[in-house]
Amino acid sequence: MLDTMFFYMFALLAVAGAILTITMRSAVHCAISLIASLAGVAGLYLLQKAEFLFAVQLVLYIGGIMVLFLFVIMLVNLDSAAKERQFHRRWAGGAVAAVLAGASALWLLSKGAPSFGSPVAQAAPSPDGNVEQLADLLFRQYLVPFELASLLLLVAIVGSVLMAKKRTS
Amino acid sequence: MHQLWLIPAFPLIGFLINGIAGRRMSKTAVNVAAIGSVLLSFLWVLKVLAGLGSLEDAYIERYFTWIQSGIVDVSFDFAVDRLSAVMLLVVTGIGLLIHIYATGYMSHEGGYYRFFAYMNLFMFFMLTLVLAANFLVLFVGWEGVGLCSYLLIGFYFHKKSAGDAGKKAFVVNRIGDFGFSLAMFLILVTFGSLDFARVFEKVGPMAVEHQAGVITLICLLLLVGATGKSAQLPLYVWLPDAMEGPTPVSALIHAATMVTAGVYMVARSAPLFNHAPIALEVVAIVGLLTAVMAATIGLTQYDIKKVFAYSTVSQLGYMFLGLGVGAYDAGIFHVMTHAFFKALLFLGAGSVIHALAGEQDLRMMGGLRKKIPVTFLTLFCAAIAIAGVPPFSGFMSKDAILLAAHHHHPWMYWVGVVTAGMTAFYVFRAIFMCFFGTYRGTAHPHESPLSMTGPLAVLALLSLGGGYLDVPHYLAPMFGGEHAPHETSLVVISVLAGAAGILLALLFYVIKPGLADALSRLAGKLYTLIYNKYFVDELYDAVIVHPTRDGSRALLWKGFDLGIIDGVVNGAGSLARTIGGGLRHMQSGYIRRYAAWVVVGAIVLLAAAAGMGGAR
Amino acid sequence: MPTSFIPTAADLLRLSPDIVLTAGGALMMVIEPLTGAARKARMAAIAVLLIAAAMALSVMAYSDPGTSFSGMLVVDGFSTFFRILVYGCGLLTVLMSVDYFKRERGSESGEYYALIVFSLVGQSLMASANELVLLFIGLEISSIAGYIMAGYLRDDKRNNESALKYFLLGSFATAFMLYGVAWIYGLTGSTNLDTVRRAILGGAMEQSGQMLMIATALMFVGFAFKISAAPFHVWAPDVYQGAPAPVAAFLSAGAKAAAFAMLVRVAASAFFPLSAKWEMLLWATALATMIVGNFAALRQSNIKRMLAYSSVAHAGYILVAVTAHSEVGIAAVMFYLASYVLMTIGVFAVVTLVASKGERFVEIDDFSGLVQRQPMLAIALTIFLFSLIGIPLTGGFFAKFYVFKAALDSNLTWLTILGLLNSAAAAFYYLRVLVVMYMKPAAEGAGPVDPAGIGIKAAIVASAVGTLYLGVYPSAVLDFAGKAAQLVK
Repeated sequence: MLDTMFFYMFALLAVAGAILTITMRSAVHCAISLIASLAGVAGLYLLQKAEFLFAVQLVLYIGGIMVLFLFVIMLVNLDSAAKERQFHRRWAGGAVAAVLAGASALWLLSKGAPSFGSPVAQAAPSPDGNVEQLADLLFRQYLVPFELASLLLLVAIVGSVLMAKKRTS
Repeated sequence: MHQLWLIPAFPLIGFLINGIAGRRMSKTAVNVAAIGSVLLSFLWVLKVLAGLGSLEDAYIERYFTWIQSGIVDVSFDFAVDRLSAVMLLVVTGIGLLIHIYATGYMSHEGGYYRFFAYMNLFMFFMLTLVLAANFLVLFVGWEGVGLCSYLLIGFYFHKKSAGDAGKKAFVVNRIGDFGFSLAMFLILVTFGSLDFARVFEKVGPMAVEHQAGVITLICLLLLVGATGKSAQLPLYVWLPDAMEGPTPVSALIHAATMVTAGVYMVARSAPLFNHAPIALEVVAIVGLLTAVMAATIGLTQYDIKKVFAYSTVSQLGYMFLGLGVGAYDAGIFHVMTHAFFKALLFLGAGSVIHALAGEQDLRMMGGLRKKIPVTFLTLFCAAIAIAGVPPFSGFMSKDAILLAAHHHHPWMYWVGVVTAGMTAFYVFRAIFMCFFGTYRGTAHPHESPLSMTGPLAVLALLSLGGGYLDVPHYLAPMFGGEHAPHETSLVVISVLAGAAGILLALLFYVIKPGLADALSRLAGKLYTLIYNKYFVDELYDAVIVHPTRDGSRALLWKGFDLGIIDGVVNGAGSLARTIGGGLRHMQSGYIRRYAAWVVVGAIVLLAAAAGMGGAR
Repeated sequence: MPTSFIPTAADLLRLSPDIVLTAGGALMMVIEPLTGAARKARMAAIAVLLIAAAMALSVMAYSDPGTSFSGMLVVDGFSTFFRILVYGCGLLTVLMSVDYFKRERGSESGEYYALIVFSLVGQSLMASANELVLLFIGLEISSIAGYIMAGYLRDDKRNNESALKYFLLGSFATAFMLYGVAWIYGLTGSTNLDTVRRAILGGAMEQSGQMLMIATALMFVGFAFKISAAPFHVWAPDVYQGAPAPVAAFLSAGAKAAAFAMLVRVAASAFFPLSAKWEMLLWATALATMIVGNFAALRQSNIKRMLAYSSVAHAGYILVAVTAHSEVGIAAVMFYLASYVLMTIGVFAVVTLVASKGERFVEIDDFSGLVQRQPMLAIALTIFLFSLIGIPLTGGFFAKFYVFKAALDSNLTWLTILGLLNSAAAAFYYLRVLVVMYMKPAAEGAGPVDPAGIGIKAAIVASAVGTLYLGVYPSAVLDFAGKAAQLVK
């Protein structure tokens, strides 16, 4: 019961934060709303007993990436962008799209509900604890993808450095 | 081993020499490479045939397995049997003469080495086609000759009409090739092989398809291929335009050899066609219709090469008629005699054009008999051969076909006879307009050099006497089947038709020159219709070419790109526009269109997938 | 479940080509700042050596085929074939890039070659992954390297535009794929291809056929984007036109081959049980791709743009073979890609040369009179164009032949007919280049083609010889493909 209450609380936080992120005028406000949304998701992780993910979400997204975002926003002058009208008010079109998307999501969920009761979703929490299990998976079974993900990051860094280098002309 | 591969290899070497080094070589050296290679090839054919003797069965040389896998098993093989022996002699023999002729004809032209390189390449592919022992190797040659033809039609690239004609030839031939490749796939699926020997072995015990079945389908598709290459209805339109190429090309490729590849291919596939009487009937009717139609057009043309071009189409129709009524041997016989006299007609025409410094209009000629006597004499030989005057070569082969047609369906014979009359008329019309009367042009005619008149003389002899090479008898064991009895009365009728044609031409163009114009005025609309080639080109343009071009423009560009995407973006996409607002400043407003494409595609795909998933 | 942290020797051998390339690429990054500006071409030499070593190692690894790292990746004929293919493609790209960057002075740097090497790691993973997560990581490595390479000349506006479009759209499409992978995990409880297949056969199909189809469709959006199948091809013309010519070659040959390897592997193993349901969708996609590619190519005047549409059309032909979902079809895909890679690299190498500095001459009319200006180059281009048309004695002919044969064997008669019609129409736009090249005199002001360096010469000659080899003697490659096709599953 308490779980359910917390679930709806966090979910509300996540959704409301997301909506605010795209509707606020000021970029700083957008970023702060996003932090709220991410925090909501982190709470959801905690409810699912994924403590590690919860910690990662807090430390990396909220602590690292979002703070960086805020820095950038403050350093770069975004005033002109903030004054622009954010939405073309085509409410009718938007409403139709939202209803359609919602209906199809509902239909899929009702159709597919049974199939999501698969073994993984129901797996009992291991006595070893979440973090240990994750470590085991990452460094045994998923060793290769894990290591290669670092190559992926390296390539991305090389790319951003190349793009950011001073232009010759 | 008789080293059959050497036959096409010689011209290939000639091509390589001229193609790579020709630019830096003297004309003599180019000539030596070009003519020498074809000569060697011709001699090698003679040697091989002498060595092989009577050739009761096909002689096959296997070189290497081209593809061997679970899927298909095709090897690169050459084979010689009586059918290909005849073709080999024609191709190398006539080819040699035309190469010699071309050294004289092309001597003032630019791109001399390029011309001979292409010609040698053509010889290589044509010989590959003839020697092929399976459909795939034949297809290699088939595609290759088409390409060379395309290159050579467009040889005078500075003329736009030449480029257009080349393109037309190519496009039409692609339609034919499409049929051929489908037929090839069907053969592979049906018989599990592409080898002539194996396919024919397997088709042997199968039942003759009196109702349309898979063999009929194969044969009809092969026929589509043949109509493209051999300029039959409805794909004949490219051949008259192909006369934009140099005259030796017209003689070699568009009269004597390449255009008969379709006839050769059908004759080669005779065992298949024999099992598909419906397809054979279609072959005969297509041939007959083409013969009549092209002959009527030939009656009205004024460009000397166009007259002979329509004549070629018409004569090819005869060959198909022969094949269609089951007289394959007669059809091939006509291929050979036609190669003699039609090559001669074109080369003679070339000699006339050469003498008149490029003039091709018959109305600008006349009275040339005295000025270029050798050309006149040889052309006259060709004319009496094609007109069916006994006992010359055209008479022999045409009669064999007509007799077989009569045996098959008498009405086909009568139509053929009328066409023969027209043939005699238009050929002699050209001869009379060109050589008799008074000279109407302004150039100073001069006789051509020996390198041109020499081949003319040889071809003239062959045109006159070539009928005595008893090809039908030689080929008969290959094709079997019954032979039409010799009926003297039928022969006499067809000869009379030819004679009537000649006399009419004499009357119209020598004795009373004004008569023809009066008659054409009398016929009025009909004449206009025929003179404009039944407006077939215009019809094709209106029905096929324009819609395709406009369609691709309207549909793909206006329709897809602008209509659908813009519609999507403007209708439901004001949201997307806002998000894309930042990107708009980066002068790539198109990205969101592209993204919209991806979204639309994904939605359609997901919906379809969900639908498929539901269907059990 | 694996028990030890220490990989076995067999595990390492099977991954060794990727290990070597990764380590070597990292090393190149380290020594890059230490090499003087005039000696950057040395980086190309290192890249060539690395790729050659990777090729040798993948051949060695094939002597002991099997899975490694607890079923993460698999070394079999199929993956070895594609490894060699993408390495070969990378090698040829490096060779032709040396000349290109020598011409575009001031923009050469070692990172470019390191990026090619990294991208090859990604492509090789795409070919050998037996696991959706690894597959995705491979795809991303290859793609991100591709995005950067497409915009490598940062001062060139066309490059910038190309890279941005590629990046935005590519990320968009990959997101679909990742979402699909997540669905698959939710539905089957695994991302291992074999396990997924077992789960589908063991009841997941009955239980949630629709969900599975949607999940696979989501993944297919990502695949279709990478192979540029309609309507997900929209990026290709802009990106190929804007990117440096060697990069365009790399993207349209190697990246596409790897994406196809990935598609075929997934379709033939994990989702084989769904292939009957997918047939109609693939059928329609193949047809649409052929039609869009060919008809749009007809109207292009820029040769790079035309080649981009032509590569879309070729993806359509290959999809025909994928639609056949048979062993013959897989072999046909492999053979087609081998010849496609060779002719595409070749044709782009010629374009690189003719385009000259700053890529000024990339209109089809700029090829006029090429036969007089550069006869050998014209002959090479002729070979590649013939192969693209599918004229006998070139690899392209047999490639089309097998594709349509495979389709016919699977009773896809209409698709075969429509495909053949398409390939007949396609000949036209390639021929236009031939006509211009052979039959038009050189335009006024068309500069002499720059003398070709040894690298690009080698690339052109190798591609031409390979194209002809596949056309004259296809058995060897086809045999291997036929055997390898049986191993998938």
